[in-house]
Amino acid sequence: MMTPRKLAMKALRYTLIGVLVVLAGFPVYWMAATALNVNSQLYGTGQVAWPQLQHLPDLVTELGNVPIGRWLFNTLLIASGGTILSLTLGALAGYALSRFKFHGRGLVGFLLFMTQVVPEALILVPLYAMFITFGLLNSLTGLILANVGFSLPVACFVLKGAMDAVPYEIEESAIIDNCPRFSVLTMIILPLIMPSIAAAAVVAFFAGWNEFLFASTFLMDNSLWPASVGLASFVGQYETPMSAVLGAALVFSLPAIVFFLLIQRKIVAGLTAGAVKG
Amino acid sequence: MSANGLKNRSGLVKLLPYAFILPPMIYLVVFMFWPLSRQMYMSLTNTRIVNPNRGRFIGLGNYERLIEDPAFYVSLKATLVYTVLTVLIGIALGVVAALAIDRPFKGRAVVRAILLFGWAVPGVAASLIWLWMYNERSGVFNRMTELLGIGRFSWLTSTDYALGSVLAVTVWQVAPFVMLVVLAALQSVPQEVREAARIDGADGISTFRAVTLPHIRPSIQLAALLVAVWSIRRFDIIYLLTGGGPLGSTSTLVVKLRQTAFEGHELGMASAYGAVGLALALMVAAVHYTVEQRRMKRMSR
Repeated sequence: MMTPRKLAMKALRYTLIGVLVVLAGFPVYWMAATALNVNSQLYGTGQVAWPQLQHLPDLVTELGNVPIGRWLFNTLLIASGGTILSLTLGALAGYALSRFKFHGRGLVGFLLFMTQVVPEALILVPLYAMFITFGLLNSLTGLILANVGFSLPVACFVLKGAMDAVPYEIEESAIIDNCPRFSVLTMIILPLIMPSIAAAAVVAFFAGWNEFLFASTFLMDNSLWPASVGLASFVGQYETPMSAVLGAALVFSLPAIVFFLLIQRKIVAGLTAGAVKG
Repeated sequence: MSANGLKNRSGLVKLLPYAFILPPMIYLVVFMFWPLSRQMYMSLTNTRIVNPNRGRFIGLGNYERLIEDPAFYVSLKATLVYTVLTVLIGIALGVVAALAIDRPFKGRAVVRAILLFGWAVPGVAASLIWLWMYNERSGVFNRMTELLGIGRFSWLTSTDYALGSVLAVTVWQVAPFVMLVVLAALQSVPQEVREAARIDGADGISTFRAVTLPHIRPSIQLAALLVAVWSIRRFDIIYLLTGGGPLGSTSTLVVKLRQTAFEGHELGMASAYGAVGLALALMVAAVHYTVEQRRMKRMSR
């Protein structure tokens, strides 16, 4: 038998959970519901509060008028390029920090921590000037190079944490047999920490996927725009119907939602590790 | 192997770590710290965007202008208010949510997933959704307030509401992250200790204060640091929701920097705004570092 007090607490707790679910979930629900409304309802009589699946063909037609495919392709290039570069450099740094004591280790830790504190906007102008000099302005390469400065340290934190958990004995015999240290890293350590590599890859990939400030500043050609810049160009522009705008936003968001939910714990571990080590 | 070879080898072994650490560090110096120091130098010049690689050294001229410019204080105040409120509300909601779903119940996995939506949606997509919900004529908020008979609100274009509206979106994004961090910490609270406290007759609130809170406090502090730093850094949602307006009420230092540089074309002045932003972020990090050190000392005692 539950005491009335316990029952009341329980009711309170479930009410609280219900309120939180509505607050957190409603905007995403509304994005989907809006994408599946027709525009006469959106702007006139009032939006129907539930998604109308019968309007899915309309949405597909509308999305056909938006270059969302090309934007997503650019986003994919930016995110993949950044992931490969971040993981490569992050694995090197992570291995050095996990396995060696060396002069300047403290400085390295401090610099890595700094990257998590420095506002991106602060290096916007100098990078812009630098990219003009080297012909990297208005190019995806330049954008990737700029993004990786911020995703490399997070990849490094995630990978270092995983490497710390690998016992030294595993690589010891290989080192005694004169196996080059680089091969020890690539042939022995990295295969053992695949789940963390996957997590670091997701973090780096979606850092590039979501990035807006650098992309909107460095890319002038709209044929180079990633989805973040393309979608932002809808703001204050009224020719594209809202159902298409939010339909495109939904397509852009879904991969991020799926992967963030899949590896949520790893992301948190990576983001917090850097701040603790400072 | 000759003795000489061995000696050379041990010399090489000392250099070995640098073979791993130098490529990533050189990368960071080229694409982060060199630009950062140039930015600091640029704040002492009158560089303009037409020729960003040239500018005349003018000493503290930009900072003198900054101090005399009322817009600077508007921006500084917006940044501080935005950061402090994001931290307070984001942490409060995140902790409450974590405590609410800590113990198992039916449908917990689904609830947990939904509560993370705001954190998982990309900033630009989040801005578009909320822009539509805030829409003055057709947005869902004004449709609701009209139904309630309290009329329409200019959510993003009135100086009374703009900052609050931007804050709501920000909290929607950061509270789930706080929740995740706190949830992870809650798992480290020994269940027996909580049970023992309850058997001893402690009610929920005193159990929380005596047992749970000390366990999760370091995580809350860490989350507060990250949320504060992110608030100082944040650009996308503020820029897209209000563009820093109305009347600068949401123009944080970072938004102001981007506008001064690429709309006002004054790179030197923009860099001065950036320097203030960096100082703020470093102050937050220093406070965190000091508190963390003190906690470590207390624990080792």
